Amino acid sequence: MSETAGTELAIETRGLRKTYRSVRGRSVGVEGLDLRVPVGGVHGFLGPNGSGKTTTIRMLLGLVRPDRGTATIFGHEVPKQLPEVVGRVGAIVESPKFFPAFSARRNLSLLADAIGAPRGRVDAVIDEVGLTGRARDRYRTYSLGMKQRLAIAATLLKDPDLLIFDEPTNGLDPAGIREIRQTMRGLADQGKTVLVSSHILAEVEHIADTVSIVARGRLVASGRVADLIGAGTSTGSVRLRVSPQDLTIATSVLETSGLLVRREHDALVVDGASDPAQVNRALGERGVWVHELAPLQADLESVFLGLTAHETPGGHTSAGRATTEVDA
Amino acid sequence: MNRLLRVELRRLWARRLTWWALVGVLAVAVMTAFSAYGSARPPTEAQLAEAKQMYQQELAAWEESGDEQVAECKESEEADPDPAVDYGCDDMEPQLDWFLPPQPYFVPPAVEATDLDTYAEERGLDPDDVDAGAAAISASMWSDWGAGTQRIATSALAVVAIAFVLGVSFVTAETSSGALGLWLTFEPRRRRVFWSKAVAAGAGTVPLTVLGTVALIGTVYAVYAAFGTVGDLTSARWGEIAGFGGRLVVEATALAMIGAALGAIFRHAAAAIGVAAVLAWVGSLVTGAFDVAQAWNPVVNLGAWLNGGAIYNTQQCAPGESGIVDCVWVEKVVSQAQGGLYLLALTVVVLLVAAVVFRRRDVS
Repeated sequence: MSETAGTELAIETRGLRKTYRSVRGRSVGVEGLDLRVPVGGVHGFLGPNGSGKTTTIRMLLGLVRPDRGTATIFGHEVPKQLPEVVGRVGAIVESPKFFPAFSARRNLSLLADAIGAPRGRVDAVIDEVGLTGRARDRYRTYSLGMKQRLAIAATLLKDPDLLIFDEPTNGLDPAGIREIRQTMRGLADQGKTVLVSSHILAEVEHIADTVSIVARGRLVASGRVADLIGAGTSTGSVRLRVSPQDLTIATSVLETSGLLVRREHDALVVDGASDPAQVNRALGERGVWVHELAPLQADLESVFLGLTAHETPGGHTSAGRATTEVDA
Repeated sequence: MNRLLRVELRRLWARRLTWWALVGVLAVAVMTAFSAYGSARPPTEAQLAEAKQMYQQELAAWEESGDEQVAECKESEEADPDPAVDYGCDDMEPQLDWFLPPQPYFVPPAVEATDLDTYAEERGLDPDDVDAGAAAISASMWSDWGAGTQRIATSALAVVAIAFVLGVSFVTAETSSGALGLWLTFEPRRRRVFWSKAVAAGAGTVPLTVLGTVALIGTVYAVYAAFGTVGDLTSARWGEIAGFGGRLVVEATALAMIGAALGAIFRHAAAAIGVAAVLAWVGSLVTGAFDVAQAWNPVVNLGAWLNGGAIYNTQQCAPGESGIVDCVWVEKVVSQAQGGLYLLALTVVVLLVAAVVFRRRDVS
């Protein structure tokens, strides 16, 4: 993890471990997690369901006690020194949870009073998330998107330096997702650090500056999004479009040139093409004109799937695998 | 801590259930007054006329055959092997009072507690089998069946139960809604968070129980006063009533805090209330099965604190001279002081256990 050496860290965990006991035995939630979140920007905390993201966040917030390992927020060890730093941290863990029979305003004013925030701050944050018109309505009458906005308003009561959002777009419609995404990006642009956990990788790819990918409670990759995609991918594939009547001949020409070709709806995907010009040239020489030709870029999802494909059940990585680290 | 306590008190009184609880304690007062209405009323003209008619009939019969009845009575009395027995043969002439319906008062007539020997004799018990203090408890205004004060003492249990449920719900509502997790992200010091909730549950219910107690005593008094059947209500007895009200508020406050603590331990209102009910029931069963344990029955002790002491009956068995086990009923007393200490100890222990559980438990 040399990428953040020497830089200030918003969050750092070392060897964090948490197991849960149940009647069915002991299950591992987080297994020796080493996480580093730099100050500033949006940091995506990615992993499939059950990979330990929420458990990690709960440990950072003192809601769950780790079995082993250490965690710090802005250099303060948590949960021991959490009271000293909690005023700088706003968090939404999983779905928003407020008193359903209370209005948004009453819910927030209770929280504001608990931390000694001025009453005017409540109206300000409600206005900031666009809920002024519904501030006196009961929380239980809110749509999921409104609940999520209210949760964001709650985190803003403290004017925090670090915001932790756990699966913030779960259940939201596309407009709601975009709204939350813009909010997170906007907060990061104000100089705050935003840690957003999600299992929807494409969504995080749009806003995250850096990411950490976990699987089965372990870190499997971390670094800048662009570097991670670049490091993990050189697909050597291109997608091309030709006239519908040329599809058959184009397939034949490319296969004759030793390339692997497959149909994707009205397009062709050519694998093993190290240079797109090679594809264009081969088709042009046979009088087939290409309407569209684009090299296929790897996305975060494909990187993630590639990194976690070797994870075996039981909370252990398969032999020989190492954590991928990318300079941030 | 003070800031958190203020917030929790605000939350308590912002809850709809708290206002329903207030309506509940007032409803208890009204229902108690309503039930007292029938007995507080003096006999109607029709009842008096009927009683007089029956009295006249009995008196006429007495004038015809009274001497014979007395002679038969004395004959039976003399034939009795017990020389000290009194058949009451000199008091056989019918009296009008015998035919009138009983007239309860708000406070029963002040009676001197009988001495232990007389008290035991009235119950057919050996004085050695009766605890000192039983006579005083039995003669107390809170034990006089049908009196307004006894009705108040019975209904006070409902006020205590409402305070307990309010305490349970105050904490479990936060757990079940998940709001506790958010709360802890604002104030992670669990110890402070727990104590602010427990103290708020207790302190926040004080206005409710004070109002309920005043309403309970006031409405029942008003009913008896309306019929002129208040009884021997001296300032000293008002003092006793005020003392009862104070103890009721203390007990309700403690039960609200115990409720909050059980809510923190069990997290679900139904579980916390169910466990408390089962423990009270099992406690009664266990203590009932083991005579020596009856003194620690929670229901008996909480009643003792409230009513100035409590009496329970138990059997004492011992081998007789012939070798056969001989059992006798005895009356034991739980003093008010023991009841108070029991309440205090119960509150402290449950709160401490809950504080440890709350501090260590993972919040999901």
